[in-house]
Amino acid sequence: MNDFSELERELKSLQLVKPSARLMERIEQALTHVTEIPPNVIAPKRFTINWVGLGFGLAAAAAFLILARIDFRPAARTQSRIATAAPQSTAPLPNFLPAAVTRVVYNTRDEGLVFPGGQELPARRVRTAQRETLQWRDPQSGASLRVSYPTEEVTLIPVSGQ
Amino acid sequence: MENVATHEDWKVCFSQLAPGLVLFARQWVRSPADAEDVVQEAFVRFWRRNHRIDNRALLYSAVRSAALDLIRRDQRRSRREIEVFADASRSVEPEFEPGDDSQRELAAAVDDLPRDQREVLVMKVWNELTFAEIAETLGISQNTAASRYRYALATLKKKVQPQ
Repeated sequence: MNDFSELERELKSLQLVKPSARLMERIEQALTHVTEIPPNVIAPKRFTINWVGLGFGLAAAAAFLILARIDFRPAARTQSRIATAAPQSTAPLPNFLPAAVTRVVYNTRDEGLVFPGGQELPARRVRTAQRETLQWRDPQSGASLRVSYPTEEVTLIPVSGQ
Repeated sequence: MENVATHEDWKVCFSQLAPGLVLFARQWVRSPADAEDVVQEAFVRFWRRNHRIDNRALLYSAVRSAALDLIRRDQRRSRREIEVFADASRSVEPEFEPGDDSQRELAAAVDDLPRDQREVLVMKVWNELTFAEIAETLGISQNTAASRYRYALATLKKKVQPQ
């Protein structure tokens, strides 16, 4: 039936190059240690979310979903009382699951040296403009919801004098 | 703040998925070191948000996004990005550990596949994603994912089993 089955078996038998042992350690370190920033250093605004934009986006999406569920057709006047008393449709609400997250960096600007919070050593301030897009999908109905908003990330990179 | 590393099962999940994830990342970034950086960034971000591995399409989507971010961020690689998107380029370092000549030939044929076919093949064969998950990750229809997979297999068959 499937004339590729032998080829698929051969492909599966190919051994992948194993990732380095350091990778697991690095991830463990990243998950364990929360980077502590001294109080006199300006904390970089990482993944700052534009809450106003996100709020408008979600409100618009919610309004769309509500309007989409309203039946604008006029009620049939000839319908009997029994019929009008019939239970409402029990169609389930959309069951959205996260489907995709994308982050597109569209501008990076080096703003030069700064001395954060009275530090002796300078740091280089880099401002990155990006756009995050979150997508949810209802696997049953196929409906999807996408919210996109701009974010700005300011990173301080310590500069060594050596 | 909750310490996400205390969730015991991330190591189990990651050790199972790591080779496939790195291979997947290498469809965009050709050096193994860059691919590991991409996987690390995507997995840490994914695990902090989800703490579970159920939604594999989201994880692979995060890896893809992190890889594309890396390419865009590094302006010196702009030329390479164009090459990557225009057509598949040969890997600088091997992605497989072939046991014999036939496996070596097969690995080279995989490397020569067009990028859109190769990424579907990588996700299907070595990451065992369903066509539905592949479609979600790449933002394409399931039919497109399935047809790219078939084209990839047909191309490989022609190359390694010439009639």
